[in-house]
This record gives sequence, structure tokens and C-alpha cells, in this order.
Amino acid sequence: MMPLILAAAGEEAVIRRVGGSPEMKKHLEDLGFTVGGAVTVLNEVGGNLIVKIKESRVAINKEMASKIMV
Amino acid sequence: MDKQLRIALAGNPNSGKTTLFNKLTGSNQFVGNWPGVTVEKKEGKLIVDREVVLTDLPGIYSLSPYTLEEVVARNYLIEEKPDAILNIVDATNLERNLYLTTQLTELGIPVVIALNMMDLVKKSGDVINVKELSRQLGCPIVEISALKGEGVKEAAQAAIAAAKSGKTLPQHSFSGPVEHALAHIEEVTVHHLPEERQRWYALKLFERDEKVLEQLSIPSNVRAHIEQDIAAAEKELDDDAESIITNERYIYIGNMLKGIYKKKGKGQLSASDKIDRIVTNRILALPIFALVMFLVYALSMGKPIGDGGISIGTFLTDWANDVLGGAWLTDGSRAILEGWNVAPWLVGLISDGILAGVGAVLGFVPQMLVLFLMLCLLEDCGYMARIAFIMDRIFRRFGLSGKSFIPMLVGTGCGIPGVMASRTIENERDRRMTIMTTTFMPCGAKMPIIGLIAGALFGGSTWIATSAYFIGVAAIVISGIMLKKTKMFAGDPAPFVMELPAYHLPAWGNILRGTWERGWSFIKRAGTVIVIASIVIWFLTSFGSVNGKFGMVDDLYEDDTVATEAYIALVADRMDIPEDEVEPMDDSLLARIAQPASVVFKPLGFGDWKPTAATVTGLVAKEEVVANFGIMYAYDDNDGEEELEENGDQIWDRVAEDFDAFSGGHGKLAAFAFMIFNLLCAPCFAAIGAIKREMNSRKWTWFAIAYQCGFAWVIAFIVWQLGRAFAGGMNVVGLVLALVMLALLLWQLFKPYKEAQKLTVK
Repeated sequence: MMPLILAAAGEEAVIRRVGGSPEMKKHLEDLGFTVGGAVTVLNEVGGNLIVKIKESRVAINKEMASKIMV
Repeated sequence: MDKQLRIALAGNPNSGKTTLFNKLTGSNQFVGNWPGVTVEKKEGKLIVDREVVLTDLPGIYSLSPYTLEEVVARNYLIEEKPDAILNIVDATNLERNLYLTTQLTELGIPVVIALNMMDLVKKSGDVINVKELSRQLGCPIVEISALKGEGVKEAAQAAIAAAKSGKTLPQHSFSGPVEHALAHIEEVTVHHLPEERQRWYALKLFERDEKVLEQLSIPSNVRAHIEQDIAAAEKELDDDAESIITNERYIYIGNMLKGIYKKKGKGQLSASDKIDRIVTNRILALPIFALVMFLVYALSMGKPIGDGGISIGTFLTDWANDVLGGAWLTDGSRAILEGWNVAPWLVGLISDGILAGVGAVLGFVPQMLVLFLMLCLLEDCGYMARIAFIMDRIFRRFGLSGKSFIPMLVGTGCGIPGVMASRTIENERDRRMTIMTTTFMPCGAKMPIIGLIAGALFGGSTWIATSAYFIGVAAIVISGIMLKKTKMFAGDPAPFVMELPAYHLPAWGNILRGTWERGWSFIKRAGTVIVIASIVIWFLTSFGSVNGKFGMVDDLYEDDTVATEAYIALVADRMDIPEDEVEPMDDSLLARIAQPASVVFKPLGFGDWKPTAATVTGLVAKEEVVANFGIMYAYDDNDGEEELEENGDQIWDRVAEDFDAFSGGHGKLAAFAFMIFNLLCAPCFAAIGAIKREMNSRKWTWFAIAYQCGFAWVIAFIVWQLGRAFAGGMNVVGLVLALVMLALLLWQLFKPYKEAQKLTVK
């Protein structure tokens, strides 16, 4: 397991765990960041990520990305 | 008569909801390509049946109680119980959109799905078995294209039919342990509720939803009882209740789609992804962003066309100010009114008071419209959401989020739309902070003040204008860091998560509509406030009491029996000026009020009634500051001289002399302190109105204004006192106080964040 920020760009990864406060976790899960789901890092700018989740592109910052384990 | 039918329109953010709403009701709401444009709900009547009311709910991802939008949508669905829900589903992103659908079908309200963007799915070669999807979800599906208006009528009719007779039962079930707990919860807590609602309430109780627990006021022994069931399920499935439900929903949807959704091009990069590769590229992102911003600024606010620039906005605004505002409105109305033999005071009120004031504001409209057009264009094509992403890294360092950038950019044109633009920031703390600091940016109306000070005392040095921008930016950064460390704003900026919409070609109708909507609200608001304020200022400068008689000061001074020589000597003494410089205005209400009030500005170096009065009238509109200087420094445009220039060209000598006189020879320093105070203090009334509206709280509005004025005062104080000490005019008490303030400021800036420990990942 590693945090999403370390995942290689362009490669599909599987989410293992979603951490953070209950609100943050729920919000991430609502957006589709669920355990077992696929996620692809599309772009990285200074630790902030643009990822592909389900069929949408979501921008998340470093703090949040570090709480998603793949 | 039949009961009026009510249908709610629900769906994910950016799924085409507002577009569909416009098509269904024929209304003209601006559609943003930026998640979260609709925060309040809107209502309209269906075109196909005027008896049916359609409510446009904010875009939501789920019915959890965590964001403002979700709470608004959820409360409406639960409490108002619409007759049907028209659920718009983005076919290009089925999984996530159906996640909301599974929750909507649990509410016991008939659901009809409007499957949007099917044309895009077909174009990409993917196949969705709509019939099977409809069967599995247990609700009718209508394929539509909201943008093109296809299938919209059919969707409306299906929703009406469902509202009249339909029923939607949730088709999905959860795993054994969850269903077991749900059955228990239903039995002990919600069996008294309508049958079709029981499941939803049970599910929410399972998720330990605070709002529902509160609403149902469940006795603590029952609560403890169901808590056992929940805990048992959590233990068995090794996750918390909320996540269990979320995950199972997604698993259910994933399994359902396996047989229904056949994808052709898997793993291919979409056009949007390819654009993002470049636009949000680690190296190119900032240069591209800087270029775009430069263009926006150059076109709307920069040097006008015909003067070496490319700005259409400035060109039109110059024209509006000089021709429309100056010549036609003010002079034209004066000529007409005088021709009608209207009483002189009334001519003054209408021409110099109302029309001049309103004209000054209306002059900015062309610049605003061009700026809004550019911003709407950026938003519509999808770049705006990327800007927030790119800037987030930088803004986070001083406690703001990337979404604060746009308000500040707009604020360099005008604070009112700047403050309004803060609306897209969901997090309340970040939004409040942005609203409070946005007006520190020198807006267009503050430029004349800078021009006056630079021209009168600094020989027109361009450094003064440059420093004004630096002061504005520094004030934002310093305030951000300092406020962040107070209790009110403590905590990390809200974590940044934002769905990035797909890029698309601009839809011009929508852009023009958005531009006009924002421009019109600017005109309307600025117009109403300015009219009232202009009347007040005109009254205060025109009326006063002379030697015990109240009236228009100009008239009273013409009467030798009122303005006797002895009286004029008295006035000269009071205002501390030679007798031959006494003017009617020295007896105006404004002078009477400003004279004692100037004490406040004594420690800042400009404690004289004239700059005081100018500062106060700056609250009406910052342009008034220079206009007021013009009046007060005896510039008389009836002398055959040209009209007063925007930067007060003709009175520079007199201003410089006066500033030198009352500041004890430190005119430059006093003028600089004056400029700083005017740049940073509370904005004009119109912008304060915008602050009040966006804060939606009297307390916070006052706090914002108090903070701005206090901050401006402290900075001007430090500059004046320290500067004077260096220039050899030291005031020991002032210097000590200035050093103490500076130390406090630095301490607040550099002390560690209290929350430092909380940020670490557990």
C-alpha cells in the first residue's frame, strides 16, 4: 500500500483504503473513491493531483491524496 | 381544481441540470461549467403544462448531510415531498450518477431518469442497454440531450405521469449483515412512519446521520439498542457504517452495469485529458495561466485601443466617462433643467449630485461587461476550474484556497463583482476570509487616488502605482496568515476536491446571458446605493449653518448681513486658515463633521478636515475622493479652465502645499499614509453592500469592515510614525507605539499555527 501521491501517472491503481476525517472520507467516497475502485493519476502539479475516477476527472490536493491508499 | 403537481429536478453537479431546467421552463438561468453554481433552489413552471412547478435543486453527489448543497436538496425532498423526482443522469459518467439515483429511489417518491448526453456516448461507440437499465432500477428512463433540447418534452411528460400514478421502489439490497440491522432498526424506530419512507430513515439511522437522529428524536435506550445492531454489522464487515453503505451501492451499480454498459474505447485519453496534459502540466501550467490572465486584464482593464493597448473595456469606459457621463449627463441635464427654470438647488441636486454620482459608476460598466464576458468565457469552456486547481498550491500557503484567486482578480477591476465571485467557495471559513480581503486589491476607482498622490507629491513617479498593487497583495497575504491564526479562522483550509468539468467549445448564448446577468446586477446595485449616497454627500457639502442661519452655504455667503466680516474672521480662526481663504464650504455640514473627526487621522499624519472629508466621502465611491479634493482645493471650473482631470492635475500644487503645511513639512509621507489608508480601509458603500449580502450576517459584515479599517489605520500609523522618525521628526510616543504594533503584527505573522498537530495523518 502507498498513498495515491506516490502512484505513477497514467497507470491504473486500485484503492485499498480511504482515510481522513469522517466528513472528508464520506465526501471522497461519494465522489467514487471507494475501496476496490480503480483510480488513475492523470497529472501532478506540486503534489496536487488530477485523477480519473469512474468516468470523471477530479482535482484533489496533496493532503487528501495522501489519505487515499492504493 | 386538481392539486398543483410539484416535480423536483435532481442530479450531480455539472450534469446539465440547469440547462435542462431552462429548456423545461423556458427560463434564462446562467449555466456554469463549474461545479456548484446552483446553491439555492430555483422554481419554474413547465412549458408542457403550466400547472406543474419544477424545482431545480443544487447539484449533489449524495444525500449525506455534509455540504450546504446536499442539505438544501435533502431537506426539500424530505420535508416538501415533491410528487416526483426528475433525476438527470450524465450517461458519460453512469456509475457516479447512478450512485445518487440509488439514494433517490429510496425516498418513496416516484423517480424518472432523464439520461443526458446519450449522443456523446453513442458517438464514442459505447452501448447502453437503456431498457434493461430501466428494468433493473425500477424507474422509467427517457433519453435526452439537454443542450440540443431533444427528448426534453418526453422527459417532462414522463415525470408528470409518474407524479400522478407512479411509484418507485428501490430495487437494490445490501449485504446480509446490513439488511439484518436495517430490519431491526425499521422495527424498533420507524414503523410509525409512512411505509415508503421507512427504508430511507432506517438507512440513515444505520449511517448514524446526525440530522435524522435529531429529527426523529429517538430515546436513548432505543438508540443504544440499534447501536448494537450497527456495531455488529460494522464488526462483521470490518468498516464503518457509512462506508459500508457507500461501498455496497457502488458494488451494486458496478455489477448491474456489467451486462448493460458495453464500452468500446477503454483506457483511451479523452480530448479533455489531452488538453489537461498541457494546460495543467507541471511546467507549463503557470506560464499558460499568466498569459491567459494577462490577456483578460489587457482586454478589459489595460491600455485602451488607440493608445498602444488592446483594451476594448478601457476604451469604452473612457468614452462613457468623458462623453456620456461628463458631457451628456451632467452638463446636458444642467442645460435642460436651467432651460426649464428649475430652482438652482434642484439643478444642483440632480446634475451635480445624482447624475454625476451615477455617471461615475455607470462609466465602469463597459469595463465590467468586458471583464465579465472574459470570465464567463473562461468558466464556460472549463478553464476556470483548472485555475482554482493551479492556484491552490500557492494560496494554501497563506490560508486561502485556490478558489480565492478569481475574486481577487476581479477585485482589481471592481470590488463588487470581486466579492460576489467569492460565492463559488464552498467552505464558509475560506469564503469569509476571501470576502474580507478581496477589496484590498486596488480597484479601478482607487486608481485616481493613486494618480493624485503620485502626481501631486511624487512628481508622477510610477513607483507609487506599482507600490499600491504590492500593498494590496501584501495586505491580503498578511491578513490571510494573521487571521488564520485567530480562533475564528483556525483550522486547515478546506481540503481541495473539485470535479473538473470536460472542456467544451464556448456556448455563446449562455456566455452572453451570464455576462448580462452579472453586469445588470452590478448596475442595479451600484445604481441604487450611489443615488442615495450622492444625495447625502451633495446635501452635506451644499448645506450648513452660517452665523446661526441654516441654508445653502453658497447663498448665505452672498448675503453680507449673514456672512459678516467678524463672522468670517471667526471661521478663519476655527479652520486655522487666513481670512481671505475662507470659503462657503468651510461652513458646510461636511466640514463641520469632518473637522472634529480629523482627530482620528492625526496620528496618521493627515489629520486635517479636507483629507478627512475626502476619505469619508470615499465610502460613497472611491472616485469621490479626488472629486472632493477638487471641490475643497478651490478648483473652480467656471474660471474658463478645463474640467478637472481624473487625477486632479490642476490642484496638485495646492494639495502638495497643504499636505506639507499640516504635516509639519513631511507632506510626502503624510500623503503616502493617506493613500495607504484609503487603499486598505472599508470599500465603498456598494461594495460593503455586496459584503453584507455574501456574508449574510450583520455580525460578520461589521467584523469585516472593522478589520479593514483597523488594519488600514495600523499600517498607515506604522508607516507615518516610522517614516517621520527616519526623516528626523520623531515623536517618541508615536514611535514606541508604532514599534509595538509592528512587533505584534510580526508576532502574529510568525507564531506557529495552533493546529499544527492536527494536520498530521493518523
